[in-house]
Amino acid sequence: MNCSLLLSNDKFIKLLYSQNHLKLGLKSSPCVLLISILLLATSCGQKPSIFKEYRTVFKVGDHPTWAKKVWNDNNWESRIKRIPEGQIFWSRTKIDILTAPEEFRPYGLQIDAHGEYEIFWDGVLIGKNGNPGQEEELPPEGELWITFSVPTHLATEGEHVLALRLSNYYFPDHVGQYEIEIADYEDLLTNLLIDTSYMHVFAGAFLIASIYFLFLFLNNRKEYPTLIFSVCCFLIFALVLTVFSKDYSPIHYSLHVIRLHIINSFLLGISFLIPYYFSMQFPYSRRGLTLILYAVILIFIWLISDHAFDFKTVGMVLSMWCFSFGMVAYGAYNNVRGARLVLVTLLLSIVIYLATSFVISLYASLGLILLGMLYLLSINIKEQRLAYEDSLIHSTRLRLELLKKNIQPHFLMNTLTSLIDWVEEAPKKGVLFIEALAKEFDLFNQIENQTLIPITQEIDLCRQHLEIMAYRKEIKYSLEEEGIDPEQKIPPAVLHTLLENGITHSLPLNDNSIRFKLVFESNSDYKCYTFLTFAAGVRQTTTREEGTGLKYIKARLTESYQEKWDFASEPIDHGWKSTIKIY
Amino acid sequence: MKVLIVEDESRIAKRIERMTRDIFGNALQSLTHINTLHEALAFIDKNSLDLVLLDLNLNGDDGFDLLTTAVSESFHTIIISAYKDQAIAAFEYGVLDFVPKPFNRDRLEQAINRTNKKANLTASTVKYLAVKKRQNIELIPIEDVIYIKGAGAYTELILSDGTKELHDKSLEKLEQLLSYAFERIHKSYLVKMSEVKEIIIKSGSKYIAGLKNGALIPIGRTKYKDIKAKWL
Repeated sequence: MNCSLLLSNDKFIKLLYSQNHLKLGLKSSPCVLLISILLLATSCGQKPSIFKEYRTVFKVGDHPTWAKKVWNDNNWESRIKRIPEGQIFWSRTKIDILTAPEEFRPYGLQIDAHGEYEIFWDGVLIGKNGNPGQEEELPPEGELWITFSVPTHLATEGEHVLALRLSNYYFPDHVGQYEIEIADYEDLLTNLLIDTSYMHVFAGAFLIASIYFLFLFLNNRKEYPTLIFSVCCFLIFALVLTVFSKDYSPIHYSLHVIRLHIINSFLLGISFLIPYYFSMQFPYSRRGLTLILYAVILIFIWLISDHAFDFKTVGMVLSMWCFSFGMVAYGAYNNVRGARLVLVTLLLSIVIYLATSFVISLYASLGLILLGMLYLLSINIKEQRLAYEDSLIHSTRLRLELLKKNIQPHFLMNTLTSLIDWVEEAPKKGVLFIEALAKEFDLFNQIENQTLIPITQEIDLCRQHLEIMAYRKEIKYSLEEEGIDPEQKIPPAVLHTLLENGITHSLPLNDNSIRFKLVFESNSDYKCYTFLTFAAGVRQTTTREEGTGLKYIKARLTESYQEKWDFASEPIDHGWKSTIKIY
Repeated sequence: MKVLIVEDESRIAKRIERMTRDIFGNALQSLTHINTLHEALAFIDKNSLDLVLLDLNLNGDDGFDLLTTAVSESFHTIIISAYKDQAIAAFEYGVLDFVPKPFNRDRLEQAINRTNKKANLTASTVKYLAVKKRQNIELIPIEDVIYIKGAGAYTELILSDGTKELHDKSLEKLEQLLSYAFERIHKSYLVKMSEVKEIIIKSGSKYIAGLKNGALIPIGRTKYKDIKAKWL
């Protein structure tokens, strides 16, 4: 397919590749990122056209008289598929000037022709772009998009003829209708620069966002969505820069297609990454499958035809929109945070498209999506801060809970009462009791500010507690260990809490004993502590004290292992069994 | 004296037991120690008692279930607990005393001695009287009680809406608990003094208290002087 046809006929898409018609009226727009204002300006800022362009006709060959205003070009062709061997050919375009320029304010003429050419206005040479027909001797010249000045005395109101003497040695199959624009010369130049500068600010925003999100990713390597978003922003930056850099960096016409390929590749990347990003942000089942399907569709569109750039662009952007919309709508349906905002953005892009054009809506939506992402990011940061503050409060509470174990009245007052009794009745035993108590307090002091302690320390704590309880309850307590790995760590006072529960809720066996057993097992999947109580009359009740005990255990496990643990508690023959699994 | 100790800490139970024996001396007829809630409930149901010494936290159970049962019975209840914050609630339910742990012999003796005194000297006020019903125990707010009439080993609570409730405690025991607002104006009557409107003196030195609801309660001849001195 010939790209010239598509490119020149489809004004719809033109803007993406050349901004000759980017009549955004940005002069009156204060900020490029406020796309809505920009759009308003677009609709109000257009001046009425001062010229009328007729069909361009072509003829292979070379004759100076072909530049003349009056010349019968009826037998010229309206289209030539290919110019053989770098031959010279001519084009003639009839133009009506509707209003003559003011004095000393010449008109400018922008033309989008591929090749090296001389340009004649009513037979007068007004400009030159390269050296037509001399490609073989001279280095390649011939830029795309040049603005020529039309002398004031030539641009009178009425009919004129624009004739081009061309050669397109490097791009022989690209001869077509040109895009021609005639307006105030200075306006043409400054408008270009203004548009370009605003679009560069726009691109800069994406560059900063790209760097920022990259840094976010580098600081948290698990957050792949931030990396994806960073890459996405960079591609948008690159896309805008490639499209709009041509005003200050001349491009040879032979590079035109390569430039379009590059632009299209950026667009391919963006088209894939934005829905991919959304699929990560708003997850759903069969994600992989839809993404593969989407990638296949995109690559199909991308490969479909070598030069159908407009078709490819529309295809890719349209698929991007549809897939994004599907994912975001599903996310919004499931009440995923931020999904509604993005959905509004996507719907807004449709509104913008209907109000303006495809390309403006594309850039505007990309800008809006970026704004949406930044907003989500600020929400995320706030939530992380709140979560962090929460976790601080949480660990402080757990620490207090741990300290409270030894001063809560049931333990402390009963211990002191027993202690008084021992001291009064058997002072020597009383002293031993005090020593045991001191040791337990000491152990608590050591672990008080830690989130994980060696298992051996935890077992010491349990043994110490049993010694105290033996003085109080006068029951024979014993604690057996099996398979304990001294290298393991455990949140403080977790086993101690199970032991306390065991003591509180059990009655001794016939031989006045209560036995406890701690079994450790580990494999590649998990580590497991089983805490067994062998006693009579063990039962689980739902009273306050027990409730807080189990809550403490669960909160400690969550603090150290997040979701990666399991706690179960069940009666067994002659006792009770509690299991803690850590994955 | 028949005493029950409900306490799950063996060492403390022994201590209470030893001290109780010491304090009561020969007056002690029986002393039982039980360490679970439900055995205690069963024991109370089957045996007649004079005093229960009760720990409110047994094997992690909340002793208030046992407490409501205990206070509805004919015997006095003394709480021995590590939780001082439960004292006010316990008094509102009508316990004789609340001994916080750790305690010494003097404090326990002081509590036990209250069983012999006529009036409860604590500043705390009883808010409810627990009354046994067919299925459960009902708490009657004291403010609804106008006067109490002795009926043998039991008592009859006469309430402001005119209904009557039977209580297992004797008039003497209720007098000990309610002395802050109620007066024993007759050997068979305990009257809330704020309900007394007038004292009618009849011929033959008969004194009658006229209550706000119109009821007339006789005043014992020996009591008249005391009442006059204390309330008028």
